[in-house]
Amino acid sequence: MTSQYATELCSLLIEDNFGELFARIFSTLQRYDRLTLPRLRFYSRLSDRQLHHGLAAMVQHHLIYHYTSLEDGNTYYETNLQSAYYLVRSGKILEMIEDRLGKYAATVMSTIMFLGHAQIAHLETLPELKPQRSHANGVGEEMKEEAEGQANGVDGEHELDELVENAAIHSTLKALAAHGYVIQVRDAQFQSPNDNVLDAQRVLKARPDVKEMKGKKQEQFLLENTERIVKERTDGDLSRGLMFNGVPQGVKRKHSQKPNEERREYVDIDEDEENEWSDDDFGGNSPMDSNLVVRVNYPKLDVALRNRRLVELVDQESSSATAQVYDCLLRRIEYQTPRCRDIAEIPREGEESEQYSVPIRLSALVDDIDPYLDLSGSIGPMEVPQGPARRGKRPLENGVHGDTDDREGQPSSTTNGTSSSSSGASRTYEVDQHLCLLAQPPYNFTSKRMIGGLINWTVEYRHLARKLRHTELERIIEARYGDVALRVVRVLHAKGKLDEKRLQEISLLPFKDLRQVLASMQAGGFVDLQEVPRDAQRQPSRTIYLWFYDPDRVAAGILEDTYKAMSRCLQRIRFERARLREFLDKTERSDVKGNEERYLSEGELKTLHQWRAKEALLLGEVSRLDDMVAVFRDY
Amino acid sequence: MSTAELAARLYEACLSKFPPDHLFYQQDLLGLGIVPKNDLAQLLQLTQTLVDQKLLRLLQGKNDRLAWKIISREDAEKYVFGIELLQNLNPDESLVYNVIHSTGRSGIWVRAIQNRTGLPKSILDRCLKALEGKNYIKSVHNVKFPTRKMYMLAGLAPSEDVTGGAWFTDGVLDANFINSVSTFIEYTVSRKSWYEAPAVEVQRNKRIKTADGSAAAKFPDRSSDRQYLPFPAGYQGYSTVATITAAVNESGITPVRLGEESIVQLLQVLCFDNKLVSLNNGEMYRSIKNPEAVKAQQARKPGPIDPDADDDERRRLVFNGMTEAPCGQCPVFKLCAPGGAVSPETCEYFDPWLEKALGF
Repeated sequence: MTSQYATELCSLLIEDNFGELFARIFSTLQRYDRLTLPRLRFYSRLSDRQLHHGLAAMVQHHLIYHYTSLEDGNTYYETNLQSAYYLVRSGKILEMIEDRLGKYAATVMSTIMFLGHAQIAHLETLPELKPQRSHANGVGEEMKEEAEGQANGVDGEHELDELVENAAIHSTLKALAAHGYVIQVRDAQFQSPNDNVLDAQRVLKARPDVKEMKGKKQEQFLLENTERIVKERTDGDLSRGLMFNGVPQGVKRKHSQKPNEERREYVDIDEDEENEWSDDDFGGNSPMDSNLVVRVNYPKLDVALRNRRLVELVDQESSSATAQVYDCLLRRIEYQTPRCRDIAEIPREGEESEQYSVPIRLSALVDDIDPYLDLSGSIGPMEVPQGPARRGKRPLENGVHGDTDDREGQPSSTTNGTSSSSSGASRTYEVDQHLCLLAQPPYNFTSKRMIGGLINWTVEYRHLARKLRHTELERIIEARYGDVALRVVRVLHAKGKLDEKRLQEISLLPFKDLRQVLASMQAGGFVDLQEVPRDAQRQPSRTIYLWFYDPDRVAAGILEDTYKAMSRCLQRIRFERARLREFLDKTERSDVKGNEERYLSEGELKTLHQWRAKEALLLGEVSRLDDMVAVFRDY
Repeated sequence: MSTAELAARLYEACLSKFPPDHLFYQQDLLGLGIVPKNDLAQLLQLTQTLVDQKLLRLLQGKNDRLAWKIISREDAEKYVFGIELLQNLNPDESLVYNVIHSTGRSGIWVRAIQNRTGLPKSILDRCLKALEGKNYIKSVHNVKFPTRKMYMLAGLAPSEDVTGGAWFTDGVLDANFINSVSTFIEYTVSRKSWYEAPAVEVQRNKRIKTADGSAAAKFPDRSSDRQYLPFPAGYQGYSTVATITAAVNESGITPVRLGEESIVQLLQVLCFDNKLVSLNNGEMYRSIKNPEAVKAQQARKPGPIDPDADDDERRRLVFNGMTEAPCGQCPVFKLCAPGGAVSPETCEYFDPWLEKALGF
C-alpha cells in the first residue's frame, strides 16, 4: 500500500492520534525508508532524547518495525503502514466487539488498542477496567453485585474483590482470544515481513543438510519452508483450547423474544443470564497467564468485518430472516478463518481461483439460529396455485398454505407467525431453504456441499470479494456518468474488448449517447481504447479501435483516490478546528469541560453543537471511505 | 379445336382435378380425356405449348419417364415479366441486375458490384440510375456500414443483418421504442418473480439499515398492505423467453411482431442494467425489484432524476463513501494538495456539503 496518498493519510492519522513527535519520526522514515538511528536523527533533526522516547513508544504501538542486523550490528527502523492505517478502523472494530461481546469487552479491547500491546498483569491493574463504577457493564455485572455485597458486609475483603474483578477481565480476555480478536505478541512481529523472510532463509541455509543441496533443489526447499518458519515465528494465535465444538468461548446465543425488539436492550437483559458463559465447559475459571502480552489481531477482525459487510448486503437484497441465517453461517465460518486472503496482494481479475471456506454442517447451523426467528414467513410457496396469485386475497388462506404445507411437510406455523411449534426436521428444511435462496444468482452468497451424505454449506469468498469490488466501482460510475455508462461498463466487463459497432449492438444505445459516455469515461480513466492497426502504416482509417474496461486498474486508481479523499477530510477537520481555535480552547478548559451548560452562553453552545456535528460528519465520512478501502484492499 | 384451345382446357383440367404440386405423367394427362383419340403426338404438342407459356414445367420422373408440374398463372406471368424485364434492359444493366439479384436480402455494396461486373464507374452509375428509375432496385441503409451505398431488389425486405434487427428504424436505433418495450418487460417479469403474500400475513414490517444508519421501512408506506416474498430456490414459474415474447406481442406496444432473438437481445440489456437476472443460462428471467418498486421507479422515469429525491432504492444503489464525499465529485481533485492552489483549506465544496448535510 505504499503510495503518496497512503503515506499522507497515515502520517495524518498518527499526528491526530499521537501528536507531532510521532508524525515527524513516521514521515521521516517514510520519506527515506529504512534508517539507522544516527541517520534518522540527522534527517528528522530531533534530539536523542526525543527520538528514544518516540521510537520506543512507536514500537510498542507497532507503528515501526525494527531490525538488528547480525552482519553490521546496526538497528534499522522502518514504518509499518498497515498498522498505522488500522488506526482509522479502530472505531468500527470496537463497535463490532461491543455488538458481539458486550460493552465491557469493547472497553478491554480499546484499552489494548490504546496501549498498542499490553501484558495481562498490567491490564489487571488498570482502574478503567475495574468493573465497579459502570452500571450496565455487561460481563462484570453479576460478579460486581456479588463483590459489592461482600464489600458492604466486611470491609477488609479486598482480596476476594480483586479476584472477582480479575475473573471478569480474564473471562473477557479469554473470549477475545477465543474469537481470535487478540493474539499473543511474538518477537518476530516487531520485524518487517521482509526481514522475517530473509531471516528464515538465512536460518535454513545455515542448516548442513540444506547446504548440501544444489541449485534448483535448494531453491525449491527454501521456498517451501520459509513460509512455514515465518508462520511459526509470528503466529500468536491464542484460540487453541478455547474453542468448544467449533464455537469460541463467550459466544452469546441470540434468543430474542420478538424480532422487532430493541437490539441494545436485549443484549443488556441477556447479559445477566448469559454471563456465566460456558465456564463449566472449559474447566472453570482458570485465568489467563498474567505474563502473556497481547495485541489486537487486525487480519482476523477484517474477516469479521467482511462478514458483517456481506450480511448487510444480504439484508438489503432479501428478507431479514435470510440475513440472520446467513449471519449465523458466516459466524461459524469466521471462527475457522484466520484471515481474508492467503496472499498479500489482491490477485488480478481472472487469475484468482475459487476458494471455498470451511464447510459448515447444516445441523450445527440450525442450533445456532434463534429458535423464535420466523423462517417460513419470508419465502413464497413453490407453486402459485390457479394462475396469478396476485389477486389472492380470499381463498388463498386455505389454498396456498394448505398446498405448501402438504408438500413440504411443515406444520402451518406460517399463519400463526412465530409459533415455535415447528418440529426440528422442518426447521432444518426451512434453514436449508433460506440458504438455497442465498445460493441463487446474481450474488451466489453460499454454495452447497454434500459431505458424507450430510448437507454442508460453504461460502466462496473470493467471488464475493470481487463482486463487492465491482459493486463499489459500479456505484461510482453510475453516480458520475449515469446509468447509460453503467450499462456500457457492464457490457464491456462481460464481453471483453469490443469495437464501437458491436458495443452498440449489444448495449442498444444510440451512437451519440454511446460516444459521449465513452469519451467522458475515458477522460476519467474508467475505460480505455486499444488500437489494432490492420496494416503496417497504422493509418487511423485502417485501424480497429477496441474499447475495454479493466477493473483492476480502475480499482487501483480509486483506492488511491479514496486515500486522498480520506486525507482531505481529516485535513478539513483540522482546518475547521483552526478556524474555531480560540473558542474550542475555551470549551476544553478543565473547568468548562463537562459543565458546558453552566459556563457557555447560548450562542456558544450552539456553535459547540455545530462544531461537534461537523466533526462527526467528517469523521463519519472518513469511516465510510474506509469501508471502500477495505473492499478494495483487504477483503 | 385448335391446339391453343386444347392446351388451355388441358391446363384448366389439371388445375382443377389435381393438387398444385402433383407430378403428372403421361397416363394422368391422357386420363383426363381431353386429348382426342389419345394421340401421343398431339399430347406432346400440347404440353410443349404449355411449357413454352411457362404454365407447365418439364421434369424427369421415376425411371427416366417424362413428367410435368403445373405452375400457377401468377407465377408464370411473373416469370414472363422477368424475361421481358431482362429484355428491356441493355446488357450492362442486366449484368448489374443479376449481380444485385444474386445477393438476395442482404444487399450489395456499390463497390462490390463494380468489382464483380468490372464495369467502369460512370457506366455503373448510369445503370444503377436506370434500374432505380424503373423501380427494379432500391438503395438500402446498412447499420453496420452506415456510410456504404448498398442496393437490393425493390421487391425484397432487407434482412436483420442489414437493418440491425427490430430495434432499428431506418438504420437508426429507436431509443423510445426500446425504452417502452423494456419498461413493459421489466414489469411483466417482476410480476412473475415475486410471491404476493396475502394481506393477513403482513404483520411484520421489514426494516433495513439505510446508508445514514437510521432504520427505515424497506418498502414505502403506501405499499404496506402488500408484501412481496421471494420464491424458493428451484422455483420454475419465472418468465421464460417464450412467455415474455408472447406477452410483448400481445400487449400492442409494438407495431411489428418481435422475434425471440430480438427479445433475448433486450433481456440481456436489462440484465446488464441490473434489472433482471437470468437463471439457468438464460432460460428464465427474474426481476431484482418487486412489481411495486418497478412501478414506482418507472413512474419517476421521465425527466432527469431528482438528486434530492429521498428514495431508498436509489440511495442504496448509488451511494458509497466516494460518491458522497465532496472529493468524489470534485472536478479538480487531481490538483488538490495541501498548500496548493486547490487545497483542503481553500476548498469550495466542503462548506456547502456540510451545510446541506447538517442543515445549518
